[in-house]
Amino acid sequence: MTRRKTKNLLRLTFLNIFFIAICFLALVPILYAFTLSLSDGSSAFGSGLFLNPKHVTLENYRRILTEEPFLLWLKNSVILSVGTMVVAMGFATTASYAFSRFRFKGRMKILFLLILLNAFPQILSMFAIFRLFKTFGLLDSRLGLILVYAGSMCIFSIWNLKGYFDTIPVEIEEASKIDGATDLQMLVKIVLPLARPAIIVTAVMVLIYVWNEYLFATTFMLSADKYTLAGGLYQLQANDYSRSWSLFTAAAVLVSVPILIVFFCIQKYMVSGLTAGGVKG
Amino acid sequence: MKRILSSLLCGCMIMGLMAGCGQTTASSTADNTEAKESGNDTVKNEDTTEIKIWHDGDEAIMGTIESDLNETLKADNITVSFEKKSGLTDQLQLYGNDAANGPDMYFYAHDSLGMLAEMGILAPISDVTDVDALDTDLNDMTVEATTYKETQYMIPVYFETLLFLYNKDLWEGEVPTTTDELYDYMTAHTDTDAGTYAVVNQHSTAYNVAPVINGFGGYIIDKDGNPGLNAVETKEAISYNQKFAELQADGDYNTVSTLFNEGNAAAIVGGPWLVSSINDAGINLGIKSLSEFTLPNGEALAPYSGVQGVGVMKYAAESKKDAVEKVLKAIAGEEVGVDLAVNNNCAPANEKAYENTEVTSNEMVQAIRKTADTAEPMPNIPQMSVMWGPTEEFLAAVNKSDADIDSAAEEYEQAAETAISDMQ
Amino acid sequence: MKKKKRAVPWLYSAPALILIGIVVVFPIIYTAYISFTNMNLYHWNDFHFIGLENYKRALLKADSGFLSAIGVTIIWTVVNMVVQLVLAYFIALGLNAKGLKLKRVYKTLLMFPWAMPAYVSILLWKVCMYNTEFGLLNQLVTALGGSKMNYLAENVPAFFACTILNLWMALPFMIMMIDGALQSVDGSYYESATLDGAGVWQKTWYITLPCIRPIIAPSAIMTTFTTFKQFDIVYLLTKQKGSLSGASIQTIITYAHQNAFVSNNYGLSSAVSILIFVIIIVFSVFTNRGLKEE
Repeated sequence: MTRRKTKNLLRLTFLNIFFIAICFLALVPILYAFTLSLSDGSSAFGSGLFLNPKHVTLENYRRILTEEPFLLWLKNSVILSVGTMVVAMGFATTASYAFSRFRFKGRMKILFLLILLNAFPQILSMFAIFRLFKTFGLLDSRLGLILVYAGSMCIFSIWNLKGYFDTIPVEIEEASKIDGATDLQMLVKIVLPLARPAIIVTAVMVLIYVWNEYLFATTFMLSADKYTLAGGLYQLQANDYSRSWSLFTAAAVLVSVPILIVFFCIQKYMVSGLTAGGVKG
Repeated sequence: MKRILSSLLCGCMIMGLMAGCGQTTASSTADNTEAKESGNDTVKNEDTTEIKIWHDGDEAIMGTIESDLNETLKADNITVSFEKKSGLTDQLQLYGNDAANGPDMYFYAHDSLGMLAEMGILAPISDVTDVDALDTDLNDMTVEATTYKETQYMIPVYFETLLFLYNKDLWEGEVPTTTDELYDYMTAHTDTDAGTYAVVNQHSTAYNVAPVINGFGGYIIDKDGNPGLNAVETKEAISYNQKFAELQADGDYNTVSTLFNEGNAAAIVGGPWLVSSINDAGINLGIKSLSEFTLPNGEALAPYSGVQGVGVMKYAAESKKDAVEKVLKAIAGEEVGVDLAVNNNCAPANEKAYENTEVTSNEMVQAIRKTADTAEPMPNIPQMSVMWGPTEEFLAAVNKSDADIDSAAEEYEQAAETAISDMQ
Repeated sequence: MKKKKRAVPWLYSAPALILIGIVVVFPIIYTAYISFTNMNLYHWNDFHFIGLENYKRALLKADSGFLSAIGVTIIWTVVNMVVQLVLAYFIALGLNAKGLKLKRVYKTLLMFPWAMPAYVSILLWKVCMYNTEFGLLNQLVTALGGSKMNYLAENVPAFFACTILNLWMALPFMIMMIDGALQSVDGSYYESATLDGAGVWQKTWYITLPCIRPIIAPSAIMTTFTTFKQFDIVYLLTKQKGSLSGASIQTIITYAHQNAFVSNNYGLSSAVSILIFVIIIVFSVFTNRGLKEE
């Protein structure tokens, strides 16, 4: 008994060391960036700077928060990403349920076609989308961007959710069908709770995509106060000549923080509903 | 039963659709009200004309111009706003024909002029105002630079050249007057492993190597659009530059400017855009014109000059002709020139500005003006836009990957020719 | 009655399919249309049909450079996907070990690279890690007494530099997906397998992998495509205008960018885009095998 305990302890110690090492490796560039963001502009870089900034200052953060329309950009980012998430997830959940549960003609063909469409480099679509937006008066509007984002994330979401729906045994639904539940009731009451981790992961994926996207955001939004965070900061720092590294890194840290908070908050909902649902093989 | 089920489903589906749309309609109405509000604004100030200028440059410089223009044009009820757009030429390709969303004018370097003019989105300046009257005070070189196929499409505002910037506290003795002496100084004072350098330069960037190439009599592209990467003079220049490159760190913009700002490099070849960060770093800055260095062949270094100016979009020249004309007159004026020189160390295109004592005492501006004697305006033909790529690949291959100059020259000359023929 | 039943799945998927049609399919069709015209700098507004001319020129461009770009792209995709899946699997497995109390903290920390916009991450790596003067790698090398190296000047080191950066950027998502998938595996399978005397490897091979495969297959395939068409990493690290690093690795997309897009010839570059799209379709026929279900 005690031998098993010590063996377990050893195993856990090893695992902890392993993860601390991995996390450190993953975070090295970010820690470096963080150190840079705390140093004043002129002394950025220089040997031995890592984790040891010369003149610690919060000036860079102050400048971004006060001299740039940071809060406005934050608001735009939130509106766009939440809007996209609602549209994309709303459309993709029903669609992927259909692709997972119904056997209809052309099902696999469409699924395969979708994945091929996704392979088309989106940057090449810029000109066509511009024409489309111009025709429908969607330039410089959030609705246009939400549609583009949602449309491009829909394919990913459908595939991702379908894969998970497939693993949920049909028996559960059949049982409730006998109880008189409709398809949609089943989807909302039974399938969705069971697929919670997949839905959360997919939604977060959509959220991050929009949060970090800057090319469409800066091309189709025409005034600086309509930019998203990523777009606004890209616009600020895109040019070599105007880039201040300490400011750039401070901006990078500020953009990432909201996403990290989201990550931390959703962690506890990530445990699969499958086992909790009481279904055994 | 089944019928009820399916109709229920239909209903739910429609609900779902509406929920999806509900979100979108909500945001579209929000957009509409915003649009209405801004619409009201324009109705309120009916008699003001708003001129929107896109740029991709330094905010401080644009700020100087913007406030000067708004001051001058207040009486005419014209307001000018500068908006930063990164990737400006790409954006103009999309919005250049879009009167509703595009800008009225753009402010940019002159080298993309030919491309935009060929696309047919720019109005010749003569459509808006009397060019010759406007040009009388403007520097000839800048007027030449902003002229494409004998038509002037831009009003030059200021121009830039590369300079030799050095740290007076680090440089030992006098700055040499020949490039060979400079090289000797560099070999004696450079320790790459310790990370200390005598002179740094973006040695694989075409713009920064152009002084040597032009000085040797070589060319990147000639007036007729023929690339000259494999011309004998160009190859000589590039192999001469390679010697220097070995002693000039990585040659990346951020690397070399940081080396200089931190006192790890005694001198840097760079432009006025570096000055604000150099001053922030508290460096005791010395400035020397590149035309004061002589190459082994007896010629002076001849950098490219970049002329920054404004161009007018076709639709704006038609719909806002009077306002645009006033803006052009004001921006070409002496006042903007003086303010740019005094506040931002820019060398104004307006010659009258140089009569101001504050301008004559500005060392930077004088050095740039002096360099203009040997400087060549960057080519503004559309073919130039595809030359940067092959030229810089050539330079990087020679300086960073030890490629053989002759074979690399042939390879990239070929690449340049293909790129040019691809444009048609 | 039967007919209505058949319409149900279409009804369910209609909104998504219509949206995809507008946002994804229309641009592809439009690109195809432009590829048959002579839209370029000199015919910006007055372009007209020129038939297959652009395709002829695009195919003529398919020289040795293009073929080697295809080769590099395939190696790049395979190396990245294999390393990514294996690493992500073991890390996720570790995260699911019983009794690991700090699991949530580790997970959040490991997600950090994902939370940054791509261009920010790439520029950070370029300057903070790979830079010859200030990069952490060279600081480490000089501290250990070595001499400075330029990681991006030659093709092979640059390829590895790009791969490491891609792994750094892509692993968080993979770990998250596999972690989610592992949690969905029914614990009772393992219990009965242990009773039957199965070892760790047998359990992995016969239980874990088959169980998580359907869940991670979609995201793995999606990631394969993303890796295949990856542009930012190679471009920003080695080919950014004004700071070329010297390495000349080309993937299909950077090759197309360099050969077609810089020239502002929309007709020609559209033809090249469509050809690349066709290549990707051919490529995906091979990956198609992983998609078969049932």
